[in-house]
Amino acid sequence: MLRRLLDFLNQPARRGNPFPRWSNAAPAKILAFLALTGALLVAAINHYATNEYLNVGYTPDQPVAFDHGFHSGVLGLDCRYCHTHVEKSPHSNVPSTGTCWNCHSVVKKDSPALQPVRDSIATGEPIRWVKVHKVPDYVYFPHSVHVSRGISCVECHGRVDQMEVVGQQKSLSMSFCLDCHRNPEKAIRPLDKVTDLAWKAPSPEAQREMGAKFVHDWKVLPPQSCSGCHR
Amino acid sequence: MSKRVFVHPEPQEGEPARWRSLEERNKSPEFRSRAEREFLDGAASFDPVDRRAFLSLMGASFALAGLGLAGCREPRQHTLPYARTPEMTIPGVPTFFATSFPGELANQPVLVETHSRRPTKVEGNPSHPASGTASSKLAQASILDLYDPDRATVSVGTDGAALTAAQVRDRLAALGKSLAATGGAGLAFLARPSTSPTRARLVAALRARFPKAIWAEHTPVDQASGDRAVGPGIRALPNFAAARRVVSLDADFLGSGDAQVEATRAYASARRADTAEQAKGMVRLYVAESLFTLTGAAADHRLPLATSAIPALALHLLDQVRRQLGQPSVGELPALDIDPAWVRECAADLVANRGASLVVAGAHLPAAAHGCVQAINDLLEAVGRTLEYVRTDAAPAAGLRDLALARPSALVILGGNPAYDAPADAGLADVLGAAKTLVRVGLHGPEHDDTSAAVRARGGLFVASTHYLESWSDGRALDGTYLPVQPMIAPLYDGVAELEVLALLAGESADALGLVRATFEGIARAVGRDASAAAFDAWLAEGVLPGTAFPRALAGTVSSPAAPAAPALSRASLEVRLVPSVHAGDGSFGNNAWLLEQPDPMSKTCWENVVLVSPALAKALEIEPEPMLINRLGQLNRNINQVEAGKLTCRVVRVTLGGRTVEGPALILPGLAKWTLGLQLGFGRKAVGRSGARVTERLSENRIVGVGFDAYPLASAAAPLGAAGAALELTGESVVVANSQDHWSMEGRDLVREGSAEEFAKNPAFAARLGLDGHLPSPLGTGKDAAAPLAAAAVSTPRGNSAYEHPDHAVPPNVAVWQGRADAPVPQQWGMSIDLNTCTGCNACVTACQAENNIPVVGRSQILKGRDMRWIRLDRYFFDGREQAGMEIPENPQVTFLGVACQHCENAPCESVCPVNATVHDEEGLNTMAYNRCVGTRYCANNCPFKVRRFNYLDYNDRQIGRFYEGPLGPKGMAETLKMQKNPDVTVRMRGVMEKCTYCVQRIQEAKIQAKVRAGASGDTKIRDGALQVACQQACPAGAIEFGDITEAGSRVAKAKASPRTYGLLTYLNVRPRTTYQAKLRNPNPRMPGASAAPLSRLELAGREGVHPAPAHGGKGH
Repeated sequence: MLRRLLDFLNQPARRGNPFPRWSNAAPAKILAFLALTGALLVAAINHYATNEYLNVGYTPDQPVAFDHGFHSGVLGLDCRYCHTHVEKSPHSNVPSTGTCWNCHSVVKKDSPALQPVRDSIATGEPIRWVKVHKVPDYVYFPHSVHVSRGISCVECHGRVDQMEVVGQQKSLSMSFCLDCHRNPEKAIRPLDKVTDLAWKAPSPEAQREMGAKFVHDWKVLPPQSCSGCHR
Repeated sequence: MSKRVFVHPEPQEGEPARWRSLEERNKSPEFRSRAEREFLDGAASFDPVDRRAFLSLMGASFALAGLGLAGCREPRQHTLPYARTPEMTIPGVPTFFATSFPGELANQPVLVETHSRRPTKVEGNPSHPASGTASSKLAQASILDLYDPDRATVSVGTDGAALTAAQVRDRLAALGKSLAATGGAGLAFLARPSTSPTRARLVAALRARFPKAIWAEHTPVDQASGDRAVGPGIRALPNFAAARRVVSLDADFLGSGDAQVEATRAYASARRADTAEQAKGMVRLYVAESLFTLTGAAADHRLPLATSAIPALALHLLDQVRRQLGQPSVGELPALDIDPAWVRECAADLVANRGASLVVAGAHLPAAAHGCVQAINDLLEAVGRTLEYVRTDAAPAAGLRDLALARPSALVILGGNPAYDAPADAGLADVLGAAKTLVRVGLHGPEHDDTSAAVRARGGLFVASTHYLESWSDGRALDGTYLPVQPMIAPLYDGVAELEVLALLAGESADALGLVRATFEGIARAVGRDASAAAFDAWLAEGVLPGTAFPRALAGTVSSPAAPAAPALSRASLEVRLVPSVHAGDGSFGNNAWLLEQPDPMSKTCWENVVLVSPALAKALEIEPEPMLINRLGQLNRNINQVEAGKLTCRVVRVTLGGRTVEGPALILPGLAKWTLGLQLGFGRKAVGRSGARVTERLSENRIVGVGFDAYPLASAAAPLGAAGAALELTGESVVVANSQDHWSMEGRDLVREGSAEEFAKNPAFAARLGLDGHLPSPLGTGKDAAAPLAAAAVSTPRGNSAYEHPDHAVPPNVAVWQGRADAPVPQQWGMSIDLNTCTGCNACVTACQAENNIPVVGRSQILKGRDMRWIRLDRYFFDGREQAGMEIPENPQVTFLGVACQHCENAPCESVCPVNATVHDEEGLNTMAYNRCVGTRYCANNCPFKVRRFNYLDYNDRQIGRFYEGPLGPKGMAETLKMQKNPDVTVRMRGVMEKCTYCVQRIQEAKIQAKVRAGASGDTKIRDGALQVACQQACPAGAIEFGDITEAGSRVAKAKASPRTYGLLTYLNVRPRTTYQAKLRNPNPRMPGASAAPLSRLELAGREGVHPAPAHGGKGH
């Protein structure tokens, strides 16, 4: 093998230039290959390793097939009927079984779908709801300050009033948060429309104008440094 | 102006006058090389596992990770709401309940923060004006005892079988019934003293049901013995706030005891001096003591004197006061080997301030000393002004001696740990042996408690008790104010509360709430207050019942004050003092890791106790330090305490007193009385939980250490807290003692600044002129910025001559609406001010910070590597003052404490070196730490001039102490109960990230959120001054810490910073710290012997200013 290579290199015609002709294009080809692989890798990570890909659309089955679309959209229950403390607490509480029981001790009280609710009321054991929207443990997202300063549920949770089963619609990534913290006027709305998920400003211009006035009058200054959300 | 280079001061010829440890003082080359490095030797190494083993483990864990890679989504999580929401519960919003931390002399009124009924933090109760928001380190740390994973989970019957609480109740009721038949003959109770009126009521009921029974109380450290000497049922309540002259005779009122918070608060209010006028009226403190306590550290004049000579000193003082008041002498005085001028001038000062002076004596002193002190206070007209006598409701109780005489056949032991802490000659072992029926009520079972073990070994009944945070009870504050003890959480385990045990034995209903309610009704009616159910609820909500303080009483007069002659002490006949340790108290906190790891303020030891010896004794013992290398100045150094590779190595000594012997490491502490040994109690328990266990660690070939030694064998029934006549010898062994003393040393720059009150009155701005700062142009430059007021400087750029660019705080970044608008809201700017003049070094801030910020405990071996995690470091500086050559250690130095946490520099050097921007400034001036961004380069810690950054070398939160190095094979996860203590508003940090003081950013954010929610359309989103307190500020009994918006004129912190005493640390580095300090004032009496007009620290500064004169025309260009 080695001898053959040496013979090849020792051909009189090759003296002084040991490389074959095809090697002229090799560096460019290698570079192009590496660039393409790199670009693909970057694109793949950008697409697959993001909240957008991993989390959006996450729609787990819940122990009780609670239909938000029906309760909120059709019956018109306000979000705060069940998520009672959203204006006071950092958490928007998942309602206690007692909240379900307010109505379902009377309405559809024998429905088999409500068996877990009846069990929970009887035993005092909580219903194990599956968490859908979550931010990492090192992120502290306070609901109260958002909903009491004109940020609607819909901005992060989407049209829950149209969902039969709740799923994640927004990425809830850090850039998602920062987009809004930098331009709150694009999302802010009158306080009485916060839980009206269907509400939309008549036009984008009207939204911007109303939003800018709200931001100015209420002195809205969303934090943008680490300490705002990471403690 | 050309750029100047500042050179740190060079060490000078002769000894430095300021040092933090003996090694530092002696400038050993070893110390020097260590001080020049950021991390201790070995701090950054992973020694139990070598690199090869590490790589193979890593390979294995990668393989495992590959197998377990099921999917990319995070694991499924559940939300568990209540089935039925309890009243007043908002998930995510803490609820505060009032209760009180039980003590033996006084309960401490506290508020407890609970998250969904899970207590996480103890705070002072501002409804009680005497203690305010302040709380002691013990109250702060008591929450960890609730979650102690070693607590007994079940009761154990006489046959060794586990019992439920219901079964225990049945047995106790049956036991009570059978004993009642004989009138309680042969029955005895042994309990700790308590302030609970309900317990007193139940004891009375027990006496009624069992007329022949004995109720005995025992505590190893009796805080009421001094009061008993004055009269039965009498309590002396010193009012330090009204005092201008205080003499403390061996009384550590600032450092220990149940009255510490209130005493510190009152003393600090008398010590506060913001103006020259106030400085003139500042309290002056004289202390004569045998050990070096926090009270001694606060003293203006301190006399190291053996405790056995203190009664004689009291009589001398009384004699002087009488003579100076023109009254006859007390007669013949016992000999006293001190400068008579000390007593004479001290007495003269007291007499000159008659009506505003006060003498207090340590509770451990004999009755004669208290008699003298009472007589002095009478002569000084203290009663009614600086001192109040009140009549308590304490009922007399028998003692251990009565138990030993009676030899009861049935014994009920409630709380405490008498098998560990009772003196050997008190006969408790015989009592336990003689009793046929034994009942032990305690928090810890036989495996983790000496007394429970002794009772179970004799086939007794062990009753698992409940912690005060899960039981109903009550108590009284120091002044007698009636306080509730209410449960924050249902009992974690199947326990029976102490009150229930007593009630069951007394044949009453075992409903502790009902019992407390009945007591409340009685007390409320007695003082003419509403006793309704609504009033009871109001009392629980408020936490105090006003108008229930003890009534005033007359103490009578002392007819013939006398004092025993002080025994002659010498090398052959030493004096032993037994004192509760900072770490474990008298042993009650023996399994509390927060306290165990807390450095002793004076000796700076952690996790263990030592025998404190004076430098003179060390010399007499010929603890002859080995000569070390020649230092930079060409002097031959000696390694006094034998520090090797940053580890303090102490000689083991054997102390013999009355035929009883203990062995422990001897630590040389300056300032001790010459022939006094200080032995700290609370260690060396035979049965104790995992934190206090005597875990033997092999550190190297010949260094095997444990966690402390038991000093109780030296206690006797006659002298429970020590006596004279002890012998001491070296065993020839040495052990390594964990200490935080030389970690992160600052090498004696101009950090602590002190002046005298007199100097302050003449030159209020003395502090700013001290040290290098006084000779340098303002860090803000020489232009208009130099004179900019604080509020403007805090938000302005440029910042002096710094090349480092800052976010311009006046303009909100990146919010489209506000850009370019002049009316944009300016974020509040946070800052802190610490008053060194009132700080006593009590460690309350350190513990509060640990509880609030989820700071992990790292364990003894990690402390030895310099991996302490606490965010606040309480530096202790000794001031020598005298130029002494050679090896002499001063006998009586001055001490100042300097609490250092992250200074939140505006020009933060840590930020510019972080390669991943994990530490950056926010728009409110906080130096923030984004843990999730940190990759652990530790560059920031290396570049921090204050050395306040802490690195998670190992997974301290997720691994158990002692098992940090077991890699992927070791157990993971902290005990379930310990998780419950964690503050849910603060990230629990993982391995490999840097952390440091955040100015309690979670509290700032919470206050901001609340302000914004409340503001609504008004746009008034500012946090009001006083609405936000950081954890250390809230806990500080001295009120030495102020925190708030420095741009708000009139805010408390802005006022504090405007004080002429304000200075910053290392400001010549142009780091512009947001935390500033107020210089300490000493208030010496110029007529006292040994008085120095200037604080001792100033002598060195004067010398340094001579070496570094103010440059006339700036420095050299560079």
